[in-house]
Amino acid sequence: MEPVSGQVWVLLVYKIPREPTSSRAYVWRKLKRLGALLMHDAVWVLPATSWTREQFQWLVVEITELGGEAQLWESRLLLNGQEETLAQQFQARVDAAYEEILAELSRGNADLVALSRRYQQVRAQDYFQSELGKQVRTRLMTARGGFEP
Amino acid sequence: MKWVTWEQVGVDRMACAWLIKKYIDPEAEFLFVPVGQKPLPEGAEAFDIPGVRLSHHRGHCTFHTMLREFDLADPVLERIARVVDEADTVQDVTLEPVAPGLDLICQGIRLTSPDDQVALERGRLIYDALYAKFEVEPT
Repeated sequence: MEPVSGQVWVLLVYKIPREPTSSRAYVWRKLKRLGALLMHDAVWVLPATSWTREQFQWLVVEITELGGEAQLWESRLLLNGQEETLAQQFQARVDAAYEEILAELSRGNADLVALSRRYQQVRAQDYFQSELGKQVRTRLMTARGGFEP
Repeated sequence: MKWVTWEQVGVDRMACAWLIKKYIDPEAEFLFVPVGQKPLPEGAEAFDIPGVRLSHHRGHCTFHTMLREFDLADPVLERIARVVDEADTVQDVTLEPVAPGLDLICQGIRLTSPDDQVALERGRLIYDALYAKFEVEPT
C-alpha cells in the first residue's frame, strides 16, 4: 500500500432509496470493507490514495446504478490537530481488530488459517501502517510452529 | 480502431487491452489521457473510465463488462473475470488466491515500464499465461 500523506482525504456523500434494503446493505458493506469512517452519520471518509480514490469513484457509479445519488470530494482539514485526530480514529479501529487477533493467538489451538486471513483483511484497511500490525504478522509467522521463522 | 483509457494502467486495464487485442480488435490502437480529463478524444472507444459503457457495472470490473458487451462466452475468460473482479474491486467473497498477487504484479509492470503502451504489451504475457493455466486446470 502506498504511504498516506495524511493531508488529503476523499469524502463520499450519498443517498440511496430505502427499498430494496439489499442495495443499502450492499453499499454499507462495501464502505465497511474499504475501512471508511462515517462522520456524524453523514460523510464517509478515507485517506486519499490512488486506490481509495478509484474505489470511491466506482462506488459512486454503483450507487447511481442502484438508483441513488452520490458525490465524491477531495479535501484537506484546515484546523490544527484535526488531521491527527482523524488519522488516530482510523488507527484505533485497525488496532482494535489487531488486538483481537493477538488475543486469539494467545489462546491455545488458534485457527491460524482463519487468523491469517483476518489479518490480511485488516491490513487492507490499515492506511497508516500500524505498529501493531507488524507485531501480528511476526506472531503469525512464529505461531506456525515447527521451524524457526 | 482507437481505444482510450486513463493513464497509469493496472490489473483491469491490462486485462481489457489483452482481451481487445486477442478477441475484439487485433488492430487496436490504445490512447491514454490523464485521470479525470474531459472531454475524451472523439472517435475512440473509451474503457475503464467511470461513466462510460465499458467500465465497472453492478460491482464488477470492466473486463467482466466487456465479456458481456462483446458476447464472449468462454468459461476460461469468465474465470479470469472473477480474478480481475477480486483484484480490482472490493469483494465479500474471495475465491481466487491469485487475485491480490496479480494486482501487485500488474502494478509492478507499470512501475518498470517506460509508458502505458509498453505496460499493456508486457501485461499481455501475464494474461496469456493465466489463460493457458486456467485452460488446463478445471475450476
